[in-house]
Amino acid sequence: MTTTETTTTTTVAEVPARQRTSIGKFLVQGGTTIALLLLIVFFFAMRPDVFLTFTNVRNILFQVSILAIIAGAQTLVMVVGDFDLSLAATSSLAGAVAASLMLDGRPTWPAILAALVVGLLIGIANGALVAYLNLSAFVATLATMTSVTGLAYLVTEGTTLFNLPAGFNSLGQGRALNIPVPVYVAIGLGIILWALLRFTTTGRKWYAIGGNVEVSRLSGINVQRGRLLAFAAAGLIAAVAGILLAARLGSASAVQGSDNLLFSVAAVFLGMTVIRSGRANLVGTMVGVAIIGVMSNGLNILGVNSYVQQVVTGLIIIAAVTLSSVRTRER
Amino acid sequence: MRRSIGLGASVAVLTMVLAGCSSGDGGGGGGGGGGGSDDPFRVIAFTSGNQTPIGAWWVKAVEAKADELGWDLTMIQGDFDFQKMNPQVESAIGQGADVILDGYTDVAAIGSIVTAARDAEIPIFAMDAATEATDAFAVNITTDQQGIVDGTLEALTASLGGSLEGKNVMVIGHDPHPGIRMRAELALEDLEAAGATIAGGDVQKVKSPATGRTEALALVTDYLTANPNGLDAVWVGWDDAALGASQAITEAGSQAKVTGSDATSEAIAQIQSGSTFVATANQPWPEVLDTVIEEITTYQETGDLPSENYEAVDTTIVTAENASTITPSDKLG
Repeated sequence: MTTTETTTTTTVAEVPARQRTSIGKFLVQGGTTIALLLLIVFFFAMRPDVFLTFTNVRNILFQVSILAIIAGAQTLVMVVGDFDLSLAATSSLAGAVAASLMLDGRPTWPAILAALVVGLLIGIANGALVAYLNLSAFVATLATMTSVTGLAYLVTEGTTLFNLPAGFNSLGQGRALNIPVPVYVAIGLGIILWALLRFTTTGRKWYAIGGNVEVSRLSGINVQRGRLLAFAAAGLIAAVAGILLAARLGSASAVQGSDNLLFSVAAVFLGMTVIRSGRANLVGTMVGVAIIGVMSNGLNILGVNSYVQQVVTGLIIIAAVTLSSVRTRER
Repeated sequence: MRRSIGLGASVAVLTMVLAGCSSGDGGGGGGGGGGGSDDPFRVIAFTSGNQTPIGAWWVKAVEAKADELGWDLTMIQGDFDFQKMNPQVESAIGQGADVILDGYTDVAAIGSIVTAARDAEIPIFAMDAATEATDAFAVNITTDQQGIVDGTLEALTASLGGSLEGKNVMVIGHDPHPGIRMRAELALEDLEAAGATIAGGDVQKVKSPATGRTEALALVTDYLTANPNGLDAVWVGWDDAALGASQAITEAGSQAKVTGSDATSEAIAQIQSGSTFVATANQPWPEVLDTVIEEITTYQETGDLPSENYEAVDTTIVTAENASTITPSDKLG
C-alpha cells in the first residue's frame, strides 16, 4: 500500500517535470504572456526612443484603465460561467445618468451615487433573469443591453451631455504623482477583485459554480444567489467605469465606450489562456487588457492604419485562444 | 353546372377585387400624387440616423411638417440597421405612397428601396443622402463638401499665421460616412496642395462614429507621444472626433489647432472658450428640409419633379467671431 502511494506520487511529480523541459509546451502554456512580452519587445525595438518612456507607458495605462475595469466586471460574470453583453451599455447609461443629474443642478457625489445605483440595479436585473428565471445569459443580457441603450438615449435625449463640473471631470482627467486617477481606480479595483476571487469564500463559490453548477448545488452552495451576486457586482463595477469615462471625456453620450464590450470579452478570453485551468481569472484578464492596450498604442505609434490594427487584434485573439484550446486538448 | 356557376362567380368577385386594388393612380402609388387628387397625400419618410441628434430632430421636424400639410405620413426609423429598415420601407412602398422622403441615409445603403420605388414609380426626395448626383433621387439636397473644406482650412490657415506651407497636419476621417469620407479626401488634397505635410501620410481612419471621440483621443495622444511637437493642426471630418483630438492636444500641452464639422453645441462652446478648437462648419439642415418640402409640395400640386436632381448648399463656418449667433445642430429640435 505504501509502495503504491510512493509510486503514484513519483509518477505525478514527473509529469510537470517533463512539461517544463518541453519548449513547445512551454510556449503553448505561456503563449499569451509570451505574446505580450514579444509585443513589448517588438514595439520597443521599432521605437526605442518612445515606446517604453514614462509618458508612453502612462498613456497606455490611461488608455486601458476603463477597459480594465469593465473587463474586471466581465471576469466576475465569466467566473460563474456566464457572460454579460450589457456591461458597456450599463457603463454608458451610468455616465449619462451622472451627467444628466449634475447638469440638472444636483451635487456631484449624489449624482455619482445615483449612477452607481443604476448600474447595481441593472446588474441585479440581469442576475435575476439568469439565476432565478433561468434565461440564458446571452438572451437576458442582450435584451438588457437593448433596453439600457434605449434608456441612455432617453437620458441624453440623443445628444452629448457636456459642461460637467470641474470636480467631476477631475476624476477622469486629474493626476496624482503624474499618474491619471483612472489608473489608480483600475489598479485598486483590480486588486480588490483579485482578492475577492482568490481569498474569499464568495470567490471560491463563484469558481465552483462556474466549474459545475450541479456539483456546486449538491455541495450546498446557493447557486442562484452566487450568480445574482456576480451579475450585480459586474453592473456596479461597469457603472464605475462609465462614470470615469464620462469624467475622462468631460461629456456623456448614449453609446460612448461601446467598443469596451467586445474588448472586455476578448481580454477575458485571452486571460483564460494564461492559467493552467483555462478559467476566467483576474490576472489573466489584465494580461489580456495589456495586450489590447499595448497593441493599439504600439500600432498607433508606428502609424499603422486602424483597419489593419483591427485585423491584427482579431488575429492575436484567435492565436491566443487556439493555443489555449491546444493546451486543453493536451490535458 | 353548379360548380361552373360557382367558379364563374368566384372569377367575377376576384376580378372586381383586383380591379378595386388597382384603382387610383396605378402601381404602388397612392391617391394624391402628381397633381391634385382629394385623397390624402401619402408620404413614406425614413432615416437610418434617428439616433443622432440631427436625425432625431429630422424625425420630429418631418412629422410636424406632415401635420401642417395634412400628409398621411409613414415614418420609419432605422437605428443604423439597414437590414431592419429597408424591408420596412419596401413593405410600405408595397402598400402605396405618393412620395418617399429619405433623410441622411446614403444611397449606397438603400439599393433595394430605390429599386422598389422605381418599380412602383414613386419618386424619392432626399436630403444629405449622396455626395454627388444620382438617378436614384428626384432630388437630393446636401451641403457643399468643398465649401466645408475651404472654410475650415481657411480658418486653420488663419490660426496658424496665414500659411499651411510646411505645417504638420493630421486629417481624421471615417470612411463609412460618405460626406465625411469625401470632405476628408478633399481636405487631404487641398492641404497637400498648400504645402502642408500630412501626419501619418494619409487620412487617419476612425472605425466607429460611436467611439469617434475616444478613438481620436488615443490616436492624437499616441502620435504626439511618438512625435512631440509633431503637429501644427488636426483637421477632423466631424465634431465629436474633433473634440477628442482637441482634448489630446490640450492634455499633451501642444499648441496645435483643430477644426471639425457639424457645429454641435460642445464644439461651439470650445470655439468660444478660445481653446485649440478654432472652427467648425454649420450645415443649414432646417433650410434644406424646407426646400425639400417645397419641392414635394410642388410635385403634389403640379406633378412636376425638380429640374435638377442634386443640389449642394453653402455652409457657415463657425469661428470665435460668429459662434454666439449659431444654433447648434444638436439643439435644433
